[in-house]
Amino acid sequence: MFSQSRRNLLVVFLTLLVIFETVAYVTTTPRPREQFFQLYVLGANRLLSDYYPNDDPNIGVGDLVRWHVGVTDFMGSVQLVVIRIKLGNQTIRPPDDLQAQPSPAPLITEFWRFIQDNETWEIPFFWQVVNADALGGSTRILEMQINNETYHVPGLNALDGHNFRVILELWTWEPQSETLQFGWSSGNERRVAWVQVWFNMTSTVRQ
Amino acid sequence: MLRIRWFLVICIVLAILLPLTAQTSTSALQPTEELQPGFSGAFDLVHRAEAAGATHEEVTGLVLLLNKALQLDEEATRPSTSEAQRATLLAQANETLGRVETEATRLEVTASQRTFTNRAVAYVIGGIAAFLATLAYLCTGYVWRKYRIKRTFQMRIFPKVK
Repeated sequence: MFSQSRRNLLVVFLTLLVIFETVAYVTTTPRPREQFFQLYVLGANRLLSDYYPNDDPNIGVGDLVRWHVGVTDFMGSVQLVVIRIKLGNQTIRPPDDLQAQPSPAPLITEFWRFIQDNETWEIPFFWQVVNADALGGSTRILEMQINNETYHVPGLNALDGHNFRVILELWTWEPQSETLQFGWSSGNERRVAWVQVWFNMTSTVRQ
Repeated sequence: MLRIRWFLVICIVLAILLPLTAQTSTSALQPTEELQPGFSGAFDLVHRAEAAGATHEEVTGLVLLLNKALQLDEEATRPSTSEAQRATLLAQANETLGRVETEATRLEVTASQRTFTNRAVAYVIGGIAAFLATLAYLCTGYVWRKYRIKRTFQMRIFPKVK
C-alpha cells in the first residue's frame, strides 16, 4: 500500500490539479455579461447640443435639422437592428418602457443594419419639414425630407404648431421567433430603447 | 326556399372574400415586419459561427456581406427601381447571402475545431502545471529536509554557563 508520504503527495497533486483545471475552465469559458444596446441622438456637431438651427426649437418649413443617430451593440453577438423614425405630437402616446410597447405615432421611415458586438453604427440624420399647413389654429405636417428622401406624413397636427416630436425607436430581429420586435430580450426580460426630441412649428407655415 | 338559397350564396361569397381581404391587410405590413428568408438563414449561420468561437475579425467580413445584401435588397424594393433592375439586384442580394452562408458554415467548422483545440490544450497545460507544481513541492520538501538534517548535524553542544 501507499506510504504516508506518497499519499500526501497524491493529495497535493490532486489539489493542484483541481486548482489548475479550474483556472483552465475559467479562462476558456466566455463569461456571461449584461446584454444591452445603446441608442443616442447627437446634434449638428456630434455633441449633446446644437439640436436645432440657431438653437431655436421653433422650426420653419425648409429649415434643415442636422442630427446624428447612433446604436452600439453590447449583446455579445451580431444583431440586426432597425431604427424607426416616428413623428408625434403632444397627445400621442410615447413608447411604454414597462410593457415594451412601441408608440402608435405614424412611422415615417426606418433604417436597417447588421452590427457586431461592441460596434457603433452612427448615421447622419438630416431632416426638414418640406410641406405643412395651418388650419384653424392647428398646424399639420404633410411631408418630411430625411437624408434627401421625401416622405409623406399620414395626418399629424398640433395645436398652434406646439410640441411636435421626433421619436426614434430601436427594434431588433428575434432569430427564434423570426420577427422584428421593439427592443430586445435579455434573459427573461424585455428591454427597450427609444429617444424623442421635441420641436415647434409656430411660424413660416402657409395658411 | 328561395331565401335559403340566397343565404347560402351569400355565405359562400363571404367565405371566399373574407380570407382574401385578410390576406390583403396582412401583406401590407410585410415590407417592414418581415425579412427575406435568405437573410434569416444567413443570420442564423453567422450566429452559429460566433457561438462556435469565431473571432471579431472573422465575423466582420460576414457582417459586411450581410449589410451589402441588405443594401441591395433595399434598393430593389424602392418604387423608382425598374423590374429588370429589381431582378438583377435581388439576384445579387441572393448571391451575396449564398456567399455568407458558405463562409459562415466554413467558419463555424474552423472555429469549433480551434475552440476544441484551445480548450484541450488549456486542460492539458493545467494537468502538466499540476504535475510540475507537485514535482516542485516534492523537490522543495526534499531540499528542506536535507537542510534540516544538515542544520541538525551542524549543531554544537555547549555547556551551560553558570
